[in-house]
Amino acid sequence: MSEQVATIASSLPAWAFLVPFAAGAFVFLGRRLGPKLSQGLAVAAPLAVTVLGLEMARVVISGRVLTGWGNELRVDGLSALLVLAIGIVGTLTAVYSLRYVQQPGLLTRVGAAAEKRLPTFYGLFLWFIATMVWGCVTNNIVMLYVAVEATTLTSGLLVAFYWDKRALEAGYKYLMLLTIGITFALFGCVLTYAAAVATKGLTGGQALLISEVRGVAHLIPPGTALVAVAFLVVGFGTKAGIAPFHPWLPDAHAEAPTPISVLLSGVMIKMAAYALARTVSIFYPRWPTLAVFVVALGVFTMVLGIVMALVQDDLKRLLAYSSVSQIGYVVVGVGLGTYLGCYGGLFHLLNHALIKALLFMCVGALIYATGARRISELSGMREKMPITSACFVLGALAIAGLPPLNGFLSKLTVYLALAKAGMWWAVAIAIAAGLLTMVVMLRAARTVFWGHAPATAVAVREVPATMWVPMVVLAVACVVLGVFPRLPFPLLDRAATVLATLGR
Amino acid sequence: MNTAGLNGELIQTLSMVVVITSVVAVEVRRLRFAAMAYSAQALLIVGLLASFSAVNPSLYWWAAVALVTKAVLTPWFLFRFIGRGEDRELPPLIGFGPSVVVAALLMIGFYRFTHGHVAVLAPTALAQEGVFRTNLAVASTVFVLGLYCVLTRRDATKTVIGLCLLENGVHLSLVSLAPELPETALFGVATEVVVTVFLLLYVIAGVRKEFGTTDTFALRELQR
Repeated sequence: MSEQVATIASSLPAWAFLVPFAAGAFVFLGRRLGPKLSQGLAVAAPLAVTVLGLEMARVVISGRVLTGWGNELRVDGLSALLVLAIGIVGTLTAVYSLRYVQQPGLLTRVGAAAEKRLPTFYGLFLWFIATMVWGCVTNNIVMLYVAVEATTLTSGLLVAFYWDKRALEAGYKYLMLLTIGITFALFGCVLTYAAAVATKGLTGGQALLISEVRGVAHLIPPGTALVAVAFLVVGFGTKAGIAPFHPWLPDAHAEAPTPISVLLSGVMIKMAAYALARTVSIFYPRWPTLAVFVVALGVFTMVLGIVMALVQDDLKRLLAYSSVSQIGYVVVGVGLGTYLGCYGGLFHLLNHALIKALLFMCVGALIYATGARRISELSGMREKMPITSACFVLGALAIAGLPPLNGFLSKLTVYLALAKAGMWWAVAIAIAAGLLTMVVMLRAARTVFWGHAPATAVAVREVPATMWVPMVVLAVACVVLGVFPRLPFPLLDRAATVLATLGR
Repeated sequence: MNTAGLNGELIQTLSMVVVITSVVAVEVRRLRFAAMAYSAQALLIVGLLASFSAVNPSLYWWAAVALVTKAVLTPWFLFRFIGRGEDRELPPLIGFGPSVVVAALLMIGFYRFTHGHVAVLAPTALAQEGVFRTNLAVASTVFVLGLYCVLTRRDATKTVIGLCLLENGVHLSLVSLAPELPETALFGVATEVVVTVFLLLYVIAGVRKEFGTTDTFALRELQR
């Protein structure tokens, strides 16, 4: 792991979060100009992030690292991967939301002035994306905390947007638990900074930069490192939905309006996992035994999430618990610290972002068309909503890890990495959790889509094109990444190399 | 850094009073008084930061930012919120007697810890100095008291005050741990807390309207 990489100063990292931020500000300021403007900007800004992300990916694949504002912003393979994922999922979600938010009763209560609240919704939506991107491009350990907490603040009101009892309860828990959690992360970040300054290898300003701290991590006393890692794991782990810090997640992901659920489950928890990996990996080379601890935490998360998903009747809660379980795979892979583990974990991060976005969109489509979201209230939707049905089943198979879909390959890579590290117990548990995932997802799909449609569902029709096109795009992506796994290899390879501190 | 210019006794006294204000903010049942205790603590923290600035001028920034965010804006939000509702806190899970014992044990524990093994918590040479050890002991106590408040209080307003204490604890520790933190980072950290408090109170106002109470035990809609 050499830190001697070619860096080039660039304004791309700054633009990647300034564009959605400015677009959000514009939406707030121009709220009188009508919903068309806010919706247009909501699609255009994430699209710009995607384009910038592609350009960043192109540069980092060629072996260079982008820096901005001195060394305050820094984009390597890992950051580029995350920015790209946020851009793609953000764009598709924005397109999907165009019609979704206009259905009465989906964004606000029936009768409430939904039109008037649209600019607020999209303004926060854009700021949410901006803060996530900011967190992924910053190189400053304290600003990383600030950005992660900022994602909580921008999304807090979005979670409670419906403003009924359920949404308010979810919003309160979300803001409260995540802020407490993230305060632990602040302490961990500050401790890391203080320890880096104390090694005398760095000046005050340099010790804030994650890329610099890595170089002196081996000089940090073990006791301090342990305390810092514990605080970072609790802090960023809460945000990432790692068990046992996950109780906020199912409430928030289920009660938020569906486009926000897509972002929360699709990319936000990944961004937190990124923050965790970025900071904890600083300590890996010196204390490789941390890997066992992190893997154990990941395996626990994986099992707990899917067991809780088994008993859910509410489709959105089911998907939320499944997200807990899947983030476990990411944590296990990346937590191993080996190249293969990191590759598998990051590949799964990308795959899960696509699959979970797809599944949440499908459930949103069901809610749009029928108004119901409980498994027990739905049946026979296969004939009424063929596209949604096909997309959901494909997503269910992909998340269950069935070949030739993308989830299969990333999970397999994680299993192989675990086996290579000699952690057979973890392989066994991970495979068992995978089988349970298949049971959970296919059982839900069978009840909802097969059987006879109830008489009340006569008027149910497939959702409009602006909603199903993003779903189909994601479904196709799941197949393509499964059949051509070499496609994302150059970027994933760079990203995995950044984190693979325990060798290949 | 030369710490000779520090008024050790003043800092010790202020630190002790900070702990007392925390206990009062957690324990007093009238929400308005709790908010007052919090405001007093915020002013004390500003005073503490200003006294540490004698040896580290960049802490003046910290003191100024804390004055605006902790001593002006946060209390303003709190009083505005409480003013509209029931002033009496709902009975907490753990009563007054045991709470005071917990607070005392925490303080003694952290004081002994920072004077014995401070290197674990703060590996800097600065933290080896007596006043900074006291600062860390106080910061840790306030942090854990805040956590205790959030975990054991039923009233949502009280949990917000607990959260403020939690944040104050971490921010106080910055004096010893990260005295040279750049202004942008300080500004980001401090602003975040004010916005969090504002948003939380905004959502809790919604909760109060919909549920008719700020009792967190009443929030059971999502458990079916």
